[in-house]
Amino acid sequence: MKPLMSFRNVSFGYGSLDVVQSASFDLQAGSCTALIGPNGAGKTTILKLAAGTLRSRSGSVILNDEPLHTLALKRVARTVALVPQQLDVPFQFTVREVVEQGRTPYLGFLRGLMSEDRTAVDQALDLADITGLQHRIFNELSGGERQRVKIALGLAQQPKLLLLDEPTQNLDIGRQVELIDLLHFLRAEGITIFASIHDLQLVEGNFSSVLLLSPDLPLMNGTPEEILKPSILEKAFNCPPRRHPLLLERMQHQVKRAG
Amino acid sequence: MPPLASAPQPVQKQAPETRPFDERLPKGRVGFVTLVSLLVIALVTVVLFSLATGAVRVSPRAILAALLGHHHPLTETQQIILLQIRLPRVLASAVVGAALAISGLMFQGLFRNPMADPYVIGSSGGAVLGACLGIFFFSQLSFLGFSATALLAFAGSVITMAIVYSLARSNGRTNVITLLLAGFAVSTMLGYSSYFFEILGNRSGSTQILLSWLHGVIGIPHWTQLSVTAALLLLAIVAAMPLMRRLNTLALGDEYAHQLGIKVEYTRVGIILTGSLLTAAAVSLGGLISFAGLIVPHVARLLLGPDHVRLLPVTALSGAIFLVVADTLARSVFAPTEIPVGILMAFIGGPFFLYLLRKTKRSYVL
Repeated sequence: MKPLMSFRNVSFGYGSLDVVQSASFDLQAGSCTALIGPNGAGKTTILKLAAGTLRSRSGSVILNDEPLHTLALKRVARTVALVPQQLDVPFQFTVREVVEQGRTPYLGFLRGLMSEDRTAVDQALDLADITGLQHRIFNELSGGERQRVKIALGLAQQPKLLLLDEPTQNLDIGRQVELIDLLHFLRAEGITIFASIHDLQLVEGNFSSVLLLSPDLPLMNGTPEEILKPSILEKAFNCPPRRHPLLLERMQHQVKRAG
Repeated sequence: MPPLASAPQPVQKQAPETRPFDERLPKGRVGFVTLVSLLVIALVTVVLFSLATGAVRVSPRAILAALLGHHHPLTETQQIILLQIRLPRVLASAVVGAALAISGLMFQGLFRNPMADPYVIGSSGGAVLGACLGIFFFSQLSFLGFSATALLAFAGSVITMAIVYSLARSNGRTNVITLLLAGFAVSTMLGYSSYFFEILGNRSGSTQILLSWLHGVIGIPHWTQLSVTAALLLLAIVAAMPLMRRLNTLALGDEYAHQLGIKVEYTRVGIILTGSLLTAAAVSLGGLISFAGLIVPHVARLLLGPDHVRLLPVTALSGAIFLVVADTLARSVFAPTEIPVGILMAFIGGPFFLYLLRKTKRSYVL
């Protein structure tokens, strides 16, 4: 199967600091990929490179067989949406007004929102399950509600690929589960998901593949079972063995299976 | 008193859609059509009353009849006072008010902050300094029908904006404290440079013109000047229309706007040019008038919400009303002495700005 997006030897850095070095991987259409790695490993940078917000220093990001940087901004924005970690809105926009901004790549120079745009906004609000919040002020919402608004904003772009930067951060466990359910639902709707995830316990069973980014290891791509091994995680996260409950639990699990 | 729950209730899963909230408008906001209609009525009323105010009193009804070309009881002297003295001045106030308010709206959107305004960030000061240079060195020159004074006012405004903007930007973000401090420093420098010209003017006799510019006096403009400035205002409004939707997107941040397909740099340049054109238009009629561009968009945003597309007409109308009222007060409260409307605006706007500063303290760092 042809991948939806491919990174081919992509390198990027800020100033003299290299963040991503010669990264190559594929995102299959319809997959649900978790991007994991320690703080500062460049997860956000990878997502921004995939969205075209940043341009690689060397190598190329390929979207549907075409290099991303050769495509018009609007065309990329109709295929790829990035849900950022943080969204600061300086004025008192309502939820609907925020989500309507997702239609920007479909608007002409003078043309405002048309009925098909309103339908797309309604659908996005419905998918993210926030139709009831649409006339509330964005800045007055809780963290979990804002997360859903940000996703609806991305969905209003009607993307094929949805990139999410730490979507479960700052959510309580109940809202985390709701968010994961939402991602499953979106995947069933045919949207490819690529999300950086901090909480490794959410990865297994919820994501079809895992991309591990670590300064100490080469980029690793595989199924959750292949990647989430204590031996790998210890090295990747530079975490002393048997000091973290997650690693302990996984080791016991392995022993049990072996026995 | 209602009885307290006797047993702990199982916690209901609170899905967002179960929350009752059906109102179309958030609390305290007014519908767009209602607001625009009210503002149009208010503007007409305010203009009529302003025309009626002055040493020679005329009833607003007679003025309306005269303006509409109906039979009216006005004497010839009254007609001359109305049409050649009061009407140009009232229209000039409306144009200045609308121009300042729209440029304030655009700069606030661009800087993502309700504290920006052409006066505060130095754009007006740049326009005044440019105009001073024009008065003193190139008073005879003109280009395509525009005087060198007007062109230099525009250039001064654009250059000041570019300087303040580049000072306030670092790593793709606008630091608001740097913005306000840079604006303050640049405004002060420009203000004193203009005073320098005022001293030079004492020798050459142009002091009166300069003083009225620095203090913000809406004089009685020549009809040609008024119509050119009104045309500039209309041009700027047309240019602003496609930018307004982009300002909404820019509110999400430059990076997000880029991700949504907005050409951020072009949009910024467009906003700075249009905002500076409006500032220069306002300055050419009324000189330095503080805070009008700050208060009007802010109040409009409270009533209507932050959608710039709908804010454009509302801000233009409110700005016009606000300045017509202010100028009428400026020329009638201490009659026969007129106080410059710029001074009156400083009295109203200063405290409002301080109030805003206190209120938005927490959202200082973006």
